[in-house]
Amino acid sequence: MEEPRIGVYICWCGTNIAKMVDVEQVAEQVGKLPFVVVSKTYRYMCSDPGQELIASDIQEHQLNRVVVAACSPRIHELTFRKVLEKSGLNPYLFEMANIREQDSWVHDNREEATNKAIELVAGSISRVQYHEPLDKRSVSIDPATLVIGGGVAGMSAALEVADAGREVYLVEKSDKLGGMIEHLSLTYPYLYDAGSMRDSLVHRTVNHPHIHIFYRTTVDKVDGFIGNFETTVRHEDQPPVTLTFGNVIVATGLKPFNAARVGEYGYGRLPDVITSVEFEDMLRTGEIRTREGNTPQNIAIIHCVGSRNTRFHEYCSRTCCQVALKFANQIRSLLPGTNIYDLYADMRAFGKGCEELYTETSRKDIMFMMFDQQEELPQIIRSVDPGDPPMLIFFREKISGLGLEIPADLVILMVGMEAHEDVKDVAHAVGISVCQNQFFIEKHPKLDPVATTTSGVYIVGNCQGPKGIPDAVSQAKAAAARVLATINQGSVHVEVTTAQVNEEICCGCQTCITVCPYQAIHYDLEKRVSVVNEVLCKGCGTCGSACPTGAIRSKHFTDQQILSQIIGLMQMTLKIN
Amino acid sequence: MNNRVNPDLPKELKEFGIRDWNECYHCGTCTAICPLTSQGVLFPRKEIRLMQMGLKDHLSTCVEPWLCYYCGECSEKCPRNANPGELMMSLRRYLTSIYDWTGLSKKFYTSKVWELAFIIFFAILVVLAFLFVLPPLDPTLTADGGVKVNSFAPVRIVEIFDWTMAFIVAGLLVSNILRMYYRVVWMGTPNGVGILVHIREFWQLIFNFVVQPKFSKCDDKSYWLYHWLLMSGYTIMFILIVVFLPWFQTEKIYPAWHLQRWLGYYATIGLLIGLTAAIIGRLKKQQVKFQFSHVSDWLFLAMLTLTVITGILIHIFRINGMPLATYVCYIAHMAILVPMILIEVPFSKWSHLAYRPFAVYFARLQKSAIQQTV
Repeated sequence: MEEPRIGVYICWCGTNIAKMVDVEQVAEQVGKLPFVVVSKTYRYMCSDPGQELIASDIQEHQLNRVVVAACSPRIHELTFRKVLEKSGLNPYLFEMANIREQDSWVHDNREEATNKAIELVAGSISRVQYHEPLDKRSVSIDPATLVIGGGVAGMSAALEVADAGREVYLVEKSDKLGGMIEHLSLTYPYLYDAGSMRDSLVHRTVNHPHIHIFYRTTVDKVDGFIGNFETTVRHEDQPPVTLTFGNVIVATGLKPFNAARVGEYGYGRLPDVITSVEFEDMLRTGEIRTREGNTPQNIAIIHCVGSRNTRFHEYCSRTCCQVALKFANQIRSLLPGTNIYDLYADMRAFGKGCEELYTETSRKDIMFMMFDQQEELPQIIRSVDPGDPPMLIFFREKISGLGLEIPADLVILMVGMEAHEDVKDVAHAVGISVCQNQFFIEKHPKLDPVATTTSGVYIVGNCQGPKGIPDAVSQAKAAAARVLATINQGSVHVEVTTAQVNEEICCGCQTCITVCPYQAIHYDLEKRVSVVNEVLCKGCGTCGSACPTGAIRSKHFTDQQILSQIIGLMQMTLKIN
Repeated sequence: MNNRVNPDLPKELKEFGIRDWNECYHCGTCTAICPLTSQGVLFPRKEIRLMQMGLKDHLSTCVEPWLCYYCGECSEKCPRNANPGELMMSLRRYLTSIYDWTGLSKKFYTSKVWELAFIIFFAILVVLAFLFVLPPLDPTLTADGGVKVNSFAPVRIVEIFDWTMAFIVAGLLVSNILRMYYRVVWMGTPNGVGILVHIREFWQLIFNFVVQPKFSKCDDKSYWLYHWLLMSGYTIMFILIVVFLPWFQTEKIYPAWHLQRWLGYYATIGLLIGLTAAIIGRLKKQQVKFQFSHVSDWLFLAMLTLTVITGILIHIFRINGMPLATYVCYIAHMAILVPMILIEVPFSKWSHLAYRPFAVYFARLQKSAIQQTV
């Protein structure tokens, strides 16, 4: 190994770091360490002049290792790796010390913060000496795409990919496309007809030459990795088919909450207590009737059924308030003389056009009343007095604080959405995880909301979390764009800081296989050792720390690298004290 | 108390002048901005909510509408233009009709025909009484050169009539106030109020009737003054006519510095200032409180103005020795005054002379009841 020639760069980050850390002092102290050739500070290391400083030093001083002490590596590690790459060095011969989030931002003693920075940088200097050059790897992409779920999100994604001339396999569990839009009469907030929207989507999907639809079909375990997936789809009574594809878009949706779980509302016991889904079906017939066929004089709408309540689901289902407002409008048009009562926990009419819908609805002689979701839910009872309407709703109205009663001949429960029973099977099949609410987890909740931690697998529509049609379609098209981009590239880069099994040492205990969150390790029955699929491996290091024999080596996180970082850091601590 | 929501009530209340009630979304700006809001008195938001939900029983126990003097700040600041101030005004009309057991108040507030027919009927009765029952006009003049008023309107007879009318009106008012008491204090304070508290707080009633201190807490004090001048003028005139008629309605013309003329002039000027301010306000509509005039508001102003003008004319014609003009004006004066008193005091706008001070009194009773329980 050639002798390390290390350049160390301490960033001020304006005043973010320099205010609490004496950066000059850090540069001076670490400059004395072995193998450090240059040690400098700069106001903004990530700026163009900052990057040029490193690049010119690499040339001038023939540096072969670089340490930058600045912000979190999550923010700028890639920036500096690119500097090394441009200067002809392998990007992995770089190490970053976080002296902002882990130091200047969280401490208030300048001297101690400065000492801590010196220690952190010393650790990085010690570690970087043992860094090895790692090569980028890429895999080719199968241009076909698997879409699971034939609702609005699934069809939108399939159409977007297929319109670009790529093959799509669309797998649908039921015997027709449409999903939940099948039940809708009109959509909020502009009251467009859902039926015609669905018909045109289904028509285009069914007749698209590049979309191959599998009805009444489920997906087996998806094997492989981005660009090279393979699975078997099973029809209820046809022979299984094996498909190969490069990307997967999961659009399995959600299902309505089971209203019978809320005892207070008597769903199932009281014939004229119905769910919002059933009321949509009623609206599609064009007539609002009680079970006995009468026109209701008093209709109550109850919000948040199964949502925003720790007894059922803590989350908000996001669409029900707007649907309830839409219902109020539809009832008012069909039955101008009927009394409409809207019992809400909070009115969440967010989104384009929705607050306007709320304002407009509030002027249509609808009695809006608030109940306390956490204290006590409204109670629906069958009335005993023959002069009364068939049902009475008792509840505490939040603004007045009074316990009130509402007469009702029809009650509509705004049921929220919840995961399908088989959500975990789907998650397992495609190698993604579910959150505590049983929604699929995205790669990053803000910056990467349709990708998952498994490359090549995307989640769109309600299976990622409750949402309305526009959001589901946006996600579907976003995922389609991501898929098309990787197909067009022909190949994708895959993680290189992966784990490696030393077959000589591996005892075949398979502990690593149970802990791997990416299903990247399998057991070679012949050799009786674990084998890492380096395309699936994300380099998280879980297997490496779990391996009892030390047979697993995580590239870029080798024992030697980590231990030398600790030693470097501790030696500096001793030296300072 | 009926706790069932009733969407029909707001529609019913439209007759009493309620408007834009559904615009309110309970931000509470009105309550925060009101200079009269105090602990436990959170108008107008509470009443709006009860009204929106049609809780008639709860609404009828509310004393707050009478504690509001309609400065209009709530309506000006309301982000939804829900006109909370006008809502309180309308509720005062509604509560008046609730307290009234005869049902006439509701009829007068919701039907112009009923109200006009009632006025015309009593006006005709008065005219007929003067023409056929009371003695005719004696056209000769007194030694001072004044008109012999007591010839066609003998003081004894007019006095008996005044007292009778005062008793009828007071009887109606008292019975309605008892109904108000039953709702506000009896039903509104579950644990009841002790006799001693009733006695201890009684001064509130007198004090608030005379001074109207709550009105003066509104930011614009000028209307407190106008109203006070009108109120004091009217009260003095009422006392002069009912209690001291033989001293007030004289044929002798006293010198200008005499107390009889002094009091008369003060009452007239007070009434005129108050009326002018109200009429100009309602015509210009610059203040929120004058923007929406109910029929009953205009009718009241018109009748009171005509009463004052005819009263002034009687005085001028009498001291200048014009018997026929005096006679005609006297009949006109009574033909307007009698139906006005009969309608306005027990059944309509003028009933507030009793409900407002009693409301302050009842509110104090409520408050001490709550303090006792706490």
